[in-house]
Amino acid sequence: MANPRILDKRRRSIRNIRKITRTMELIATARFKKAMDRASAATAFTNRMTTLVKDLLASGLEVQHPLLETRSDTRHATMLVLTANRGLCGGFNGNLQRAGFHRWHELTSAIPNCRLEVVGKRGIAALKFRGITPHESYTHFEDKPTFEEVDVIASRYLEEYIAGKLDRLDVVYTKFESIARQHVVIETLLPLGGIGSGTSPGTARGAEASSTPAASGGRTSLYEFLPSPESILEEVVPASFKIKLFKCFLDSAVSEQIARMVAMKAATENAGDLIHRLSMQYNRARQSRITSELMDVIGGVEALS
Amino acid sequence: MEKIAKEVSSSHISVLCVVHNVGRLAEYLPTHATIHLMANTNFTSPVVLRCIVVTPEATVLDAPCEFVALPLFDGEAGIAPGRAPMIGRLGYGELRVRQGGKVSRYYVDGGFVQVANNMVSVLTNRAMSSESLDAAAAEERLKSVIASHAVGPAEMATREREVAQARGQLRVARR
Repeated sequence: MANPRILDKRRRSIRNIRKITRTMELIATARFKKAMDRASAATAFTNRMTTLVKDLLASGLEVQHPLLETRSDTRHATMLVLTANRGLCGGFNGNLQRAGFHRWHELTSAIPNCRLEVVGKRGIAALKFRGITPHESYTHFEDKPTFEEVDVIASRYLEEYIAGKLDRLDVVYTKFESIARQHVVIETLLPLGGIGSGTSPGTARGAEASSTPAASGGRTSLYEFLPSPESILEEVVPASFKIKLFKCFLDSAVSEQIARMVAMKAATENAGDLIHRLSMQYNRARQSRITSELMDVIGGVEALS
Repeated sequence: MEKIAKEVSSSHISVLCVVHNVGRLAEYLPTHATIHLMANTNFTSPVVLRCIVVTPEATVLDAPCEFVALPLFDGEAGIAPGRAPMIGRLGYGELRVRQGGKVSRYYVDGGFVQVANNMVSVLTNRAMSSESLDAAAAEERLKSVIASHAVGPAEMATREREVAQARGQLRVARR
Protein backbone atom coordinates (compact mmCIF):
# COMPACT_ATOMS: atom_id res chain seq x y z
CA MET A 1 0.00 0.00 0.00
CA ALA A 2 1.40 3.31 -1.07
CA ASN A 3 1.79 5.90 1.61
CA PRO A 4 -0.36 8.91 0.74
CA ARG A 5 1.96 11.24 2.60
CA ILE A 6 5.00 10.22 0.56
CA LEU A 7 2.99 10.54 -2.64
CA ASP A 8 1.88 14.03 -1.65
CA LYS A 9 5.46 15.02 -0.90
CA ARG A 10 6.60 13.85 -4.32
CA ARG A 11 3.74 15.68 -5.95
CA ARG A 12 4.68 18.89 -4.19
CA SER A 13 8.31 18.63 -5.24
CA ILE A 14 7.29 18.03 -8.85
CA ARG A 15 5.06 21.09 -8.69
CA ASN A 16 8.08 23.13 -7.63
CA ILE A 17 10.11 21.72 -10.49
CA ARG A 18 7.31 22.59 -12.89
CA LYS A 19 7.35 26.16 -11.64
CA ILE A 20 11.08 26.36 -12.26
CA THR A 21 10.94 24.85 -15.73
CA ARG A 22 8.09 27.12 -16.74
CA THR A 23 10.03 30.16 -15.59
CA MET A 24 13.08 28.94 -17.50
CA GLU A 25 10.94 28.53 -20.57
CA LEU A 26 9.70 32.10 -20.26
CA ILE A 27 13.23 33.41 -19.75
CA ALA A 28 14.45 31.47 -22.77
CA THR A 29 11.59 32.90 -24.84
CA ALA A 30 12.50 36.45 -23.87
CA ARG A 31 16.20 35.86 -24.56
CA PHE A 32 15.40 34.18 -27.85
CA LYS A 33 13.51 37.25 -29.00
CA LYS A 34 16.44 39.51 -28.14
CA ALA A 35 18.94 37.21 -29.81
CA MET A 36 16.70 37.02 -32.84
CA ASP A 37 16.63 40.82 -33.14
CA ARG A 38 20.41 40.91 -33.09
CA ALA A 39 20.60 38.17 -35.68
CA SER A 40 18.26 40.05 -38.00
CA ALA A 41 20.36 43.21 -37.60
CA ALA A 42 23.38 41.19 -38.67
CA THR A 43 21.40 39.88 -41.64
CA ALA A 44 20.71 43.49 -42.71
CA PHE A 45 24.45 44.12 -42.63
CA THR A 46 25.23 40.96 -44.60
CA ASN A 47 22.62 41.79 -47.22
CA ARG A 48 24.14 45.22 -47.80
CA MET A 49 27.58 43.67 -47.91
CA THR A 50 26.37 41.19 -50.52
CA THR A 51 24.98 43.95 -52.76
CA LEU A 52 28.22 45.87 -52.39
CA VAL A 53 30.26 42.81 -53.35
CA LYS A 54 27.97 42.12 -56.30
CA ASP A 55 28.42 45.66 -57.60
CA LEU A 56 32.13 45.42 -56.97
CA LEU A 57 32.42 42.22 -58.97
CA ALA A 58 30.37 43.74 -61.80
CA SER A 59 33.27 46.11 -62.41
CA GLY A 60 35.15 43.22 -64.01
CA LEU A 61 37.51 42.73 -61.16
CA GLU A 62 39.83 39.74 -61.04
CA VAL A 63 38.89 38.10 -57.77
CA GLN A 64 42.17 37.23 -56.18
CA HIS A 65 42.91 37.29 -52.53
CA PRO A 66 45.06 35.08 -50.32
CA LEU A 67 42.05 34.29 -48.15
CA LEU A 68 40.09 32.91 -51.08
CA GLU A 69 42.72 30.49 -52.35
CA THR A 70 42.80 26.91 -51.23
CA ARG A 71 46.28 25.85 -50.22
CA SER A 72 47.69 22.75 -51.81
CA ASP A 73 48.94 21.20 -48.60
CA THR A 74 47.11 21.78 -45.37
CA ARG A 75 49.53 21.51 -42.47
CA HIS A 76 47.86 23.57 -39.79
CA ALA A 77 44.19 23.33 -39.01
CA THR A 78 42.05 24.82 -36.28
CA MET A 79 38.65 23.64 -35.21
CA LEU A 80 36.39 25.96 -33.27
CA VAL A 81 33.39 24.45 -31.49
CA LEU A 82 30.64 26.77 -30.33
CA THR A 83 28.78 25.27 -27.38
CA ALA A 84 26.67 26.83 -24.65
CA ASN A 85 27.79 27.93 -21.21
CA ARG A 86 24.76 26.35 -19.60
CA GLY A 87 22.98 23.04 -19.82
CA LEU A 88 19.28 22.20 -19.66
CA CYS A 89 18.82 22.81 -23.34
CA GLY A 90 18.02 19.35 -24.64
CA GLY A 91 20.36 17.85 -27.18
CA PHE A 92 21.98 21.16 -28.09
CA ASN A 93 25.38 20.56 -26.50
CA GLY A 94 25.37 16.81 -27.04
CA ASN A 95 24.84 17.12 -30.77
CA LEU A 96 27.65 19.64 -31.06
CA GLN A 97 30.02 17.45 -29.08
CA ARG A 98 29.23 14.40 -31.16
CA ALA A 99 29.74 16.20 -34.47
CA GLY A 100 32.82 17.97 -33.11
CA PHE A 101 34.57 14.81 -31.90
CA HIS A 102 33.87 13.04 -35.14
CA ARG A 103 35.46 15.85 -37.17
CA TRP A 104 38.30 16.22 -34.69
CA HIS A 105 39.33 12.60 -35.17
CA GLU A 106 39.19 13.04 -38.94
CA LEU A 107 41.30 16.19 -38.76
CA THR A 108 43.94 14.82 -36.42
CA SER A 109 44.40 11.74 -38.56
CA ALA A 110 44.79 13.76 -41.78
CA ILE A 111 46.59 16.94 -40.73
CA PRO A 112 49.77 17.04 -38.63
CA ASN A 113 49.18 20.22 -36.62
CA CYS A 114 45.68 20.63 -35.28
CA ARG A 115 44.39 23.07 -32.74
CA LEU A 116 41.13 22.69 -30.91
CA GLU A 117 39.34 25.76 -29.61
CA VAL A 118 36.15 25.61 -27.64
CA VAL A 119 33.58 28.22 -26.70
CA GLY A 120 31.29 27.46 -23.78
CA LYS A 121 31.63 25.71 -20.44
CA ARG A 122 29.66 22.69 -21.59
CA GLY A 123 32.07 21.94 -24.39
CA ILE A 124 35.05 22.36 -22.09
CA ALA A 125 33.51 19.98 -19.54
CA ALA A 126 32.81 17.38 -22.24
CA LEU A 127 36.43 17.56 -23.44
CA LYS A 128 37.71 17.20 -19.90
CA PHE A 129 35.57 14.12 -19.49
CA ARG A 130 37.17 12.59 -22.57
CA GLY A 131 40.63 13.58 -21.51
CA ILE A 132 41.32 16.15 -24.23
CA THR A 133 42.75 19.54 -23.35
CA PRO A 134 41.67 22.27 -25.76
CA HIS A 135 44.38 24.67 -26.91
CA GLU A 136 42.13 27.62 -26.27
CA SER A 137 38.82 27.98 -24.48
CA TYR A 138 36.43 30.87 -24.11
CA THR A 139 33.63 31.24 -21.62
CA HIS A 140 32.89 34.95 -21.93
CA PHE A 141 30.38 34.58 -24.76
CA GLU A 142 26.96 34.68 -23.17
CA ASP A 143 23.71 34.86 -25.07
CA LYS A 144 24.71 38.23 -26.52
CA PRO A 145 28.03 37.89 -28.33
CA THR A 146 29.29 41.34 -29.36
CA PHE A 147 31.08 42.00 -32.60
CA GLU A 148 34.06 43.41 -30.74
CA GLU A 149 34.59 40.15 -28.86
CA VAL A 150 34.31 38.08 -32.01
CA ASP A 151 36.53 40.55 -33.87
CA VAL A 152 39.43 39.75 -31.54
CA ILE A 153 39.25 36.04 -32.37
CA ALA A 154 38.62 36.67 -36.07
CA SER A 155 41.60 39.03 -36.36
CA ARG A 156 43.83 36.44 -34.71
CA TYR A 157 42.74 33.80 -37.24
CA LEU A 158 43.35 36.18 -40.12
CA GLU A 159 46.81 37.04 -38.85
CA GLU A 160 47.68 33.37 -38.41
CA TYR A 161 46.33 32.52 -41.83
CA ILE A 162 48.30 35.23 -43.57
CA ALA A 163 51.44 34.34 -41.63
CA GLY A 164 51.05 30.71 -42.77
CA LYS A 165 50.44 29.37 -39.28
CA LEU A 166 46.93 28.32 -40.21
CA ASP A 167 45.71 26.71 -43.41
CA ARG A 168 42.21 25.75 -42.55
CA LEU A 169 39.58 26.81 -40.05
CA ASP A 170 36.53 24.69 -39.31
CA VAL A 171 33.69 25.96 -37.18
CA VAL A 172 31.25 23.57 -35.56
CA TYR A 173 28.05 25.33 -34.56
CA THR A 174 24.28 25.06 -34.62
CA LYS A 175 22.90 26.81 -37.65
CA PHE A 176 19.60 28.59 -37.30
CA GLU A 177 17.32 28.01 -40.27
CA SER A 178 13.93 28.72 -38.81
CA ILE A 179 12.28 28.58 -35.41
CA ALA A 180 11.45 24.94 -36.04
CA ARG A 181 14.75 23.93 -37.62
CA GLN A 182 18.27 24.25 -36.30
CA HIS A 183 20.96 21.73 -36.98
CA VAL A 184 24.64 21.22 -36.34
CA VAL A 185 26.87 22.17 -39.24
CA ILE A 186 30.61 22.12 -39.76
CA GLU A 187 31.68 25.00 -41.95
CA THR A 188 35.11 25.65 -43.32
CA LEU A 189 35.50 29.41 -43.01
CA LEU A 190 39.13 29.62 -44.06
CA PRO A 191 39.95 29.52 -46.89
CA LEU A 192 36.81 31.44 -47.77
CA GLY A 193 34.90 29.77 -50.57
CA GLY A 194 33.62 33.05 -52.00
CA ILE A 195 33.15 36.57 -50.81
CA GLY A 196 29.41 36.85 -51.23
CA SER A 197 28.92 36.75 -47.48
CA GLY A 198 25.65 35.20 -46.43
CA THR A 199 25.57 32.98 -49.50
CA SER A 200 27.09 29.54 -49.55
CA PRO A 201 30.49 29.19 -51.24
CA GLY A 202 28.98 27.34 -54.18
CA THR A 203 26.52 30.05 -55.13
CA ALA A 204 29.05 32.79 -54.57
CA ARG A 205 31.41 31.11 -56.97
CA GLY A 206 28.58 30.86 -59.47
CA ALA A 207 27.96 34.59 -59.15
CA GLU A 208 31.62 35.32 -59.75
CA ALA A 209 31.72 33.09 -62.78
CA SER A 210 28.64 34.69 -64.27
CA SER A 211 29.98 38.19 -63.71
CA THR A 212 33.27 37.50 -65.45
CA PRO A 213 31.99 37.18 -69.05
CA ALA A 214 29.93 40.34 -68.64
CA ALA A 215 33.03 42.13 -67.48
CA SER A 216 35.20 40.91 -70.31
CA GLY A 217 32.92 42.77 -72.71
CA GLY A 218 34.04 46.04 -71.20
CA ARG A 219 33.64 47.75 -67.87
CA THR A 220 29.94 48.30 -67.54
CA SER A 221 29.87 49.35 -63.94
CA LEU A 222 28.35 52.73 -63.19
CA TYR A 223 30.22 52.99 -59.95
CA GLU A 224 33.03 55.25 -59.10
CA PHE A 225 35.49 53.46 -56.84
CA LEU A 226 37.42 55.26 -54.17
CA PRO A 227 40.29 54.45 -54.17
CA SER A 228 40.11 51.43 -56.54
CA PRO A 229 38.11 48.21 -56.81
CA GLU A 230 41.21 46.16 -55.95
CA SER A 231 41.91 48.02 -52.74
CA ILE A 232 38.27 47.84 -51.71
CA LEU A 233 38.24 44.11 -52.37
CA GLU A 234 41.30 43.73 -50.21
CA GLU A 235 39.31 45.19 -47.32
CA VAL A 236 36.03 43.48 -48.15
CA VAL A 237 37.38 39.93 -47.96
CA PRO A 238 38.57 40.06 -44.33
CA ALA A 239 35.44 41.98 -43.38
CA SER A 240 33.23 39.33 -44.91
CA PHE A 241 35.16 36.61 -43.03
CA LYS A 242 34.61 38.48 -39.77
CA ILE A 243 30.92 38.90 -40.36
CA LYS A 244 30.63 35.23 -41.27
CA LEU A 245 32.25 34.20 -38.01
CA PHE A 246 30.07 36.65 -36.12
CA LYS A 247 27.01 35.16 -37.80
CA CYS A 248 28.06 31.72 -36.52
CA PHE A 249 28.14 33.06 -32.96
CA LEU A 250 24.75 34.74 -33.35
CA ASP A 251 23.18 31.63 -34.89
CA SER A 252 24.55 29.56 -32.07
CA ALA A 253 23.11 31.95 -29.46
CA VAL A 254 19.68 31.94 -31.09
CA SER A 255 19.65 28.16 -31.47
CA GLU A 256 20.65 27.67 -27.85
CA GLN A 257 17.70 29.72 -26.63
CA ILE A 258 15.31 27.86 -28.92
CA ALA A 259 16.68 24.50 -27.75
CA ARG A 260 16.25 25.56 -24.15
CA MET A 261 12.74 26.82 -24.85
CA VAL A 262 11.72 23.52 -26.41
CA ALA A 263 13.41 21.44 -23.70
CA MET A 264 11.81 23.41 -20.89
CA LYS A 265 8.41 23.30 -22.55
CA ALA A 266 8.69 19.51 -22.74
CA ALA A 267 9.84 19.37 -19.12
CA THR A 268 6.89 21.48 -17.98
CA GLU A 269 4.46 19.26 -19.84
CA ASN A 270 6.11 16.17 -18.47
CA ALA A 271 5.86 17.51 -14.93
CA GLY A 272 2.15 18.17 -15.53
CA ASP A 273 1.62 14.55 -16.60
CA LEU A 274 3.52 13.28 -13.60
CA ILE A 275 1.48 15.43 -11.23
CA HIS A 276 -1.69 14.09 -12.80
CA ARG A 277 -0.57 10.50 -12.36
CA LEU A 278 0.64 11.05 -8.83
CA SER A 279 -2.60 12.78 -7.89
CA MET A 280 -4.52 9.76 -9.07
CA GLN A 281 -2.30 7.41 -7.07
CA TYR A 282 -2.55 9.65 -4.05
CA ASN A 283 -6.34 9.79 -4.19
CA ARG A 284 -6.56 6.05 -4.60
CA ALA A 285 -4.21 5.44 -1.67
CA ARG A 286 -6.12 7.88 0.49
CA GLN A 287 -9.45 6.31 -0.42
CA SER A 288 -8.21 2.78 0.22
CA ARG A 289 -6.86 3.84 3.59
CA ILE A 290 -10.23 5.36 4.51
CA THR A 291 -12.00 2.24 3.31
CA SER A 292 -9.76 -0.05 5.32
CA GLU A 293 -10.22 2.10 8.42
CA LEU A 294 -13.98 1.94 7.93
CA MET A 295 -13.78 -1.81 7.54
CA ASP A 296 -11.84 -1.96 10.80
CA VAL A 297 -14.49 0.13 12.57
CA ILE A 298 -17.34 -1.95 11.14
CA GLY A 299 -15.49 -5.15 12.03
CA GLY A 300 -15.01 -3.88 15.58
CA VAL A 301 -18.67 -2.95 15.93
CA GLU A 302 -19.76 -6.32 14.64
CA ALA A 303 -17.43 -8.10 17.04
CA LEU A 304 -18.85 -6.14 20.00
CA SER A 305 -22.52 -6.68 19.19
CA MET B 1 5.85 76.73 -67.36
CA GLU B 2 2.99 78.94 -68.55
CA LYS B 3 3.90 78.21 -72.16
CA ILE B 4 3.94 74.47 -71.64
CA ALA B 5 0.64 74.59 -69.85
CA LYS B 6 -0.98 76.50 -72.74
CA GLU B 7 0.27 74.00 -75.26
CA VAL B 8 -1.00 71.14 -73.19
CA SER B 9 -4.44 72.66 -72.86
CA SER B 10 -4.74 73.47 -76.58
CA SER B 11 -3.67 70.11 -77.94
CA HIS B 12 -3.96 66.44 -77.17
CA ILE B 13 -0.25 65.87 -77.19
CA SER B 14 0.90 64.81 -73.80
CA VAL B 15 3.89 66.61 -72.46
CA LEU B 16 6.10 65.11 -69.88
CA CYS B 17 7.52 67.72 -67.65
CA VAL B 18 9.53 67.35 -64.53
CA VAL B 19 8.68 69.86 -61.92
CA HIS B 20 9.29 70.09 -58.25
CA ASN B 21 5.95 71.61 -57.39
CA VAL B 22 2.81 70.09 -58.81
CA GLY B 23 0.69 72.68 -57.09
CA ARG B 24 2.14 75.43 -59.27
CA LEU B 25 1.58 73.46 -62.46
CA ALA B 26 -2.04 73.01 -61.53
CA GLU B 27 -2.45 76.80 -61.36
CA TYR B 28 -1.61 77.15 -65.04
CA LEU B 29 -3.63 74.25 -66.33
CA PRO B 30 -7.33 74.46 -67.15
CA THR B 31 -9.52 72.65 -64.73
CA HIS B 32 -10.35 69.73 -67.07
CA ALA B 33 -6.68 68.84 -67.52
CA THR B 34 -5.45 65.92 -65.46
CA ILE B 35 -1.98 65.49 -64.15
CA HIS B 36 -0.50 62.04 -64.24
CA LEU B 37 2.22 61.56 -61.74
CA MET B 38 4.88 59.08 -62.59
CA ALA B 39 5.26 56.23 -60.18
CA ASN B 40 8.27 56.25 -57.86
CA THR B 41 8.75 59.94 -58.40
CA ASN B 42 8.05 62.38 -55.71
CA PHE B 43 7.41 65.66 -57.45
CA THR B 44 5.97 67.46 -54.51
CA SER B 45 9.13 67.60 -52.40
CA PRO B 46 12.75 68.15 -53.38
CA VAL B 47 14.82 65.01 -53.84
CA VAL B 48 16.35 63.84 -50.60
CA LEU B 49 18.99 61.34 -49.67
CA ARG B 50 18.38 58.33 -47.53
CA CYS B 51 21.21 57.59 -45.16
CA ILE B 52 21.55 54.11 -43.69
CA VAL B 53 24.27 53.25 -41.21
CA VAL B 54 24.53 49.57 -40.34
CA THR B 55 26.88 47.70 -38.05
CA PRO B 56 26.90 43.93 -37.58
CA GLU B 57 25.01 44.43 -34.33
CA ALA B 58 22.39 47.02 -35.17
CA THR B 59 21.05 49.48 -37.68
CA VAL B 60 22.27 52.73 -36.18
CA LEU B 61 20.56 55.15 -38.51
CA ASP B 62 18.00 54.92 -41.28
CA ALA B 63 16.60 58.34 -42.08
CA PRO B 64 16.04 60.80 -44.91
CA CYS B 65 18.52 63.64 -44.99
CA GLU B 66 19.73 66.47 -47.21
CA PHE B 67 23.44 66.07 -46.98
CA VAL B 68 25.96 63.52 -45.74
CA ALA B 69 29.65 64.08 -45.08
CA LEU B 70 31.62 60.82 -45.13
CA PRO B 71 35.02 60.14 -43.64
CA LEU B 72 36.69 58.40 -46.57
CA PHE B 73 40.07 56.73 -46.14
CA ASP B 74 41.95 59.79 -47.42
CA GLY B 75 39.72 62.64 -46.35
CA GLU B 76 36.18 63.86 -46.22
CA ALA B 77 33.64 63.53 -49.02
CA GLY B 78 30.29 65.28 -49.12
CA ILE B 79 27.30 63.57 -50.66
CA ALA B 80 24.42 65.69 -51.93
CA PRO B 81 21.26 64.41 -53.62
CA GLY B 82 21.83 63.19 -57.15
CA ARG B 83 25.37 61.97 -56.50
CA ALA B 84 26.73 59.55 -59.10
CA PRO B 85 26.98 55.95 -57.87
CA MET B 86 30.04 55.34 -55.77
CA ILE B 87 31.67 52.68 -53.64
CA GLY B 88 34.31 53.85 -51.24
CA ARG B 89 36.46 52.76 -48.38
CA LEU B 90 35.96 54.59 -45.11
CA GLY B 91 38.52 55.73 -42.61
CA TYR B 92 38.16 56.42 -38.92
CA GLY B 93 36.40 59.70 -38.50
CA GLU B 94 33.28 61.75 -38.37
CA LEU B 95 30.09 61.09 -40.28
CA ARG B 96 27.81 64.13 -40.44
CA VAL B 97 24.20 63.85 -41.45
CA ARG B 98 22.08 66.96 -42.02
CA GLN B 99 18.37 66.45 -41.50
CA GLY B 100 16.15 69.53 -41.80
CA GLY B 101 18.97 71.90 -40.87
CA LYS B 102 19.94 69.80 -37.85
CA VAL B 103 23.33 68.12 -38.04
CA SER B 104 23.90 64.85 -36.21
CA ARG B 105 27.42 63.55 -35.90
CA TYR B 106 28.70 60.00 -35.58
CA TYR B 107 32.06 58.37 -35.16
CA VAL B 108 32.56 55.69 -37.81
CA ASP B 109 35.18 52.99 -37.38
CA GLY B 110 36.25 52.18 -40.92
CA GLY B 111 34.22 50.10 -43.33
CA PHE B 112 32.63 50.84 -46.68
CA VAL B 113 30.10 53.14 -48.24
CA GLN B 114 27.89 52.59 -51.23
CA VAL B 115 26.05 55.49 -52.84
CA ALA B 116 23.39 54.69 -55.43
CA ASN B 117 19.93 56.03 -56.26
CA ASN B 118 20.14 58.72 -53.61
CA MET B 119 20.78 56.08 -50.99
CA VAL B 120 23.91 56.22 -48.87
CA SER B 121 24.62 52.89 -47.16
CA VAL B 122 27.43 52.97 -44.67
CA LEU B 123 28.74 49.58 -43.55
CA THR B 124 30.97 49.85 -40.54
CA ASN B 125 32.13 47.79 -37.58
CA ARG B 126 31.21 50.44 -35.08
CA ALA B 127 29.20 53.65 -35.21
CA MET B 128 28.67 55.85 -32.21
CA SER B 129 26.94 59.18 -31.87
CA SER B 130 29.28 61.98 -30.89
CA GLU B 131 27.58 62.43 -27.49
CA SER B 132 28.37 58.88 -26.44
CA LEU B 133 32.09 59.29 -27.09
CA ASP B 134 34.45 59.80 -24.20
CA ALA B 135 37.16 62.30 -25.11
CA ALA B 136 39.27 61.63 -22.02
CA ALA B 137 39.33 57.88 -22.63
CA ALA B 138 40.24 58.39 -26.28
CA GLU B 139 43.07 60.72 -25.33
CA GLU B 140 44.40 58.25 -22.80
CA ARG B 141 44.29 55.48 -25.37
CA LEU B 142 46.09 57.64 -27.90
CA LYS B 143 48.83 58.38 -25.37
CA SER B 144 49.26 54.73 -24.44
CA VAL B 145 49.33 53.61 -28.07
CA ILE B 146 51.89 56.25 -29.00
CA ALA B 147 54.06 55.24 -26.04
CA SER B 148 53.94 51.56 -27.04
CA HIS B 149 56.57 49.96 -29.25
CA ALA B 150 55.70 47.91 -32.27
CA VAL B 151 57.99 45.34 -33.84
CA GLY B 152 57.38 43.88 -37.27
CA PRO B 153 55.03 44.96 -40.05
CA ALA B 154 51.89 43.39 -38.55
CA GLU B 155 52.32 45.08 -35.19
CA MET B 156 53.18 48.37 -36.83
CA ALA B 157 50.02 48.22 -38.93
CA THR B 158 47.95 47.52 -35.81
CA ARG B 159 49.62 50.39 -33.98
CA GLU B 160 49.01 52.74 -36.88
CA ARG B 161 45.38 51.72 -37.03
CA GLU B 162 44.92 52.22 -33.32
CA VAL B 163 46.48 55.67 -33.51
CA ALA B 164 44.16 56.60 -36.38
CA GLN B 165 41.15 55.28 -34.47
CA ALA B 166 42.02 57.16 -31.30
CA ARG B 167 42.70 60.37 -33.22
CA GLY B 168 39.43 60.02 -35.10
CA GLN B 169 37.50 59.52 -31.90
CA LEU B 170 39.23 62.44 -30.28
CA ARG B 171 38.42 64.70 -33.21
CA VAL B 172 34.74 63.78 -33.15
CA ALA B 173 34.47 64.03 -29.37
CA ARG B 174 36.13 67.42 -29.10
CA ARG B 175 34.02 69.29 -31.60
